[in-house]
Amino acid sequence: MSFLNPAALWAMLPLGGIIVALYLLKMRRQDMRVPASFLWPAQTEEIRANSLFQRLRFSWLLVLQLLAALLVVLAAARPQTMQSGLAGQVTVIVLDSSASMAATDVRPSRFDAAKGIVAGAIREAKPSDRLALIEAGPNPRVVFSLSSDPRKQLSALDGLGTTDAENDVAEALRLAGALVGGIDGARIILVSDGSFAPVTDFSRGKAAVFYQGVGKLSDNLAITALGQTDSPEGRLLYVAVKNFGPSATEGTISLYADGKPLDSLAFKIGKGSTWGKTLQVARKTLVYEARLEAPDYLKADNYAVAVADPGANLRVLLVGPPDPFTERALGLDPRVKLEKATQLPANAGGQYDVVVYNGVEERPVSARGVLVLGRSGTGSAIKESGTSKGMEFLSKTDDPILKGVDFRVTQADKIARWAAAGRGTELATSSRGALVVKEETAGRRRLYLAFAPLDSDFPLQVGFPIFFANAVTYLGGARDQSALSVDAGKPFSVPAEKEAKVSFNGDSIVPSRNGMAVIRSVARVGRGEIRVDGKPRALYASLRSERESNIVPQKSVSLGGGEVKTTQTPTRLGDFWRPLLALLLAVLAFEWWLFVKKS
Amino acid sequence: MLSPRELRALGGFRLAPRKSFPGKVRGERLTSRRGLSIEFADYREYAEGDDLRHLDWNVLARLETPVMRTYRDEEDLAVHIRLDASPSMSFGEPSKLDYARRLAMAVGVMGLIGGDAVSIRPLGDTRRFPPLRGRASYVRLQEGITATEERASEGFARDVRTLASTSISTGLVIIISDALDPDAAAALNLLGGRGHEVWLLQTLSAVEIDPDLEGDLRLIDAESGAEVEITANSEAIARYRENLRAHNEGLASAVRRIGGRFASVAVGTPLEDVVQKTMRREGWLR
Repeated sequence: MSFLNPAALWAMLPLGGIIVALYLLKMRRQDMRVPASFLWPAQTEEIRANSLFQRLRFSWLLVLQLLAALLVVLAAARPQTMQSGLAGQVTVIVLDSSASMAATDVRPSRFDAAKGIVAGAIREAKPSDRLALIEAGPNPRVVFSLSSDPRKQLSALDGLGTTDAENDVAEALRLAGALVGGIDGARIILVSDGSFAPVTDFSRGKAAVFYQGVGKLSDNLAITALGQTDSPEGRLLYVAVKNFGPSATEGTISLYADGKPLDSLAFKIGKGSTWGKTLQVARKTLVYEARLEAPDYLKADNYAVAVADPGANLRVLLVGPPDPFTERALGLDPRVKLEKATQLPANAGGQYDVVVYNGVEERPVSARGVLVLGRSGTGSAIKESGTSKGMEFLSKTDDPILKGVDFRVTQADKIARWAAAGRGTELATSSRGALVVKEETAGRRRLYLAFAPLDSDFPLQVGFPIFFANAVTYLGGARDQSALSVDAGKPFSVPAEKEAKVSFNGDSIVPSRNGMAVIRSVARVGRGEIRVDGKPRALYASLRSERESNIVPQKSVSLGGGEVKTTQTPTRLGDFWRPLLALLLAVLAFEWWLFVKKS
Repeated sequence: MLSPRELRALGGFRLAPRKSFPGKVRGERLTSRRGLSIEFADYREYAEGDDLRHLDWNVLARLETPVMRTYRDEEDLAVHIRLDASPSMSFGEPSKLDYARRLAMAVGVMGLIGGDAVSIRPLGDTRRFPPLRGRASYVRLQEGITATEERASEGFARDVRTLASTSISTGLVIIISDALDPDAAAALNLLGGRGHEVWLLQTLSAVEIDPDLEGDLRLIDAESGAEVEITANSEAIARYRENLRAHNEGLASAVRRIGGRFASVAVGTPLEDVVQKTMRREGWLR
């Protein structure tokens, strides 16, 4: 036991002294004549004092009052003892709701077990404890902020569910750190199975971090690849399944072409191995689906979809320094499978549908489309004459690429002075020259923007993601798609005049803003429908994440540069003043009873 | 002091001591001595020279054996009424002394009616006066009792010892007092040892039987001046009651050992109840 305010113990000296001094005062008794005094016992109880001093005599009242004073002083010193319990005085619980938490190796699921742990912490929390809950899904959010209302907290917890997507534990922990990192004795408790990338850029501040692991087993098979490629010999469909479990496992994969059964293949995969198959299929199919039947614990990764439209899936390479704005704008497009590199890889030729040069010099590359942001290169459809600071928008054409984009309010700190060259067509003009230029040749399209996003305030404007969506549509050469494939749990956008209605385990309507409807996410894998301005399209959602498919429960996780081991019963320093107060009341009640009895 | 109704009620009773005592003059009380009287005592064989007037002729006729009838002699009884008028008797409402006067008057009247030689004195008063006899002495008895005022005392035991050392006729000694003296039992033993039959009528006021004290007090003894500091709580009062009970049991035991009688009477108890329910029922009277 320790004391939070040990200085208060010194108060016992004057307090006890005063009480003893009161008992040294002598009683002034009232004289009374009686017929016979010998019958009366010489029994005195010094319960009142109103005269000068006398010899101190033993009195139970004195003992009880000294005991009461001692209890008051002890309570004022705020004694603390180590008590078991997940929650502390200020606690933020980060609850992992990613796809791997839907694993059923613990019944009914890891996520339900995790919710049980959180519910237990809420119920065991003391009335003065404050708890907050952050859901660490693909988009971390605060479920309830620091509060002391168990009823509301449990109700909010009850409404949570998993998503078939990767999580963002790092962002969730940063959010938790921002909430309580500055509070002494605060706790951040991560309830997860540990299936997330090591967290590096996280500072716990003054808070202590605990990791409460869930999950027992790791048996899982996942479809890691499904796609098609057109060759002179015809269309080839390839599929791959990986065994993430600890032992060899048998399974069956069923393939469907536009919803009709195509083939069913049985296989057996060793521990950590991948099984693959390539089939020749007809070219006319638009959508391929694969369904895996296997004795594993995670079902979300047992489904995959591939859309054969050339514009439906675009491999996009973003070349340049890290730029979260551009990455996010490209990531919103459901067609885009984004990869990043600081410079153009040597073997990039032919691998990517679109290459984006973001603030770096354009290099010749074999790709269907090229987007150049702020810096031209050899062979560009641009004639560059240096750079300037600041610009003023002058005009633009009605080209669909600039639909919904407004450069009038855009400020650029550094802008290239360009003029269209060769087959380049100027789409927008600023006071510094050509602002947007496009070039279209046989089998290749190029688009130029005269400044890099990080050199301007363009990323803060609503037209920013619209520009990238329009650019990807132009560069990818997409047709009017009748099927859309997205990653579960991730936001995506579709061009829309009025609205987009998503029917996927329930309906939701997203209004269009500036010609674009941004759908927050589709939580589950599977097939649904999206109606854009009344025109229906098939909507497919799938999970392809080796990190989520590897459901091995982690005994320790890397958080903020240090390893944190799973803790079963964390302890906390709990205030001990309540039992003292109860004891004090009991002593005072007994003292009062004794006083009444003796007076 | 007593109402005519109370006097009439007392007329039917006589004091009934366990012992018999030789009297000074022929009275109405039987003695253990056989003699000439009209009260038959027993038969005995005839002896030469006996008075033939007491020969039982009926027995002689039936049994042809001369048998003499014997009779108990009748003498007066010395009844010494001692009324405690010490300061402790002034407590209570009405005071114990006032109530004790009425008790003294009652037993005195019954003595006079019974033809006993009644003397009434304050306890501790050693002066000697001729005893009162007969119904005609009611007025003098009342005057004597009324004249008994509160007087200084060195305590009940001391007064009883003084009485024991006084040369008074052996007889019935009726002490009416609160007897609140720790040495009372020993003093009563001494008095009984002088051949007297001792009756002790203890009078206690309500505040003595059920004290209503509260707070922190210094109690001063009304007679000895001794002081006791107490906190008058329920525990102290319980111990007082226990002490009083033990003291009274000691008194009763001491009186019984010397062949006497003891009764504790609360001030305010109707005189009729004392006579009928205590004295008559327990054989003090006949």
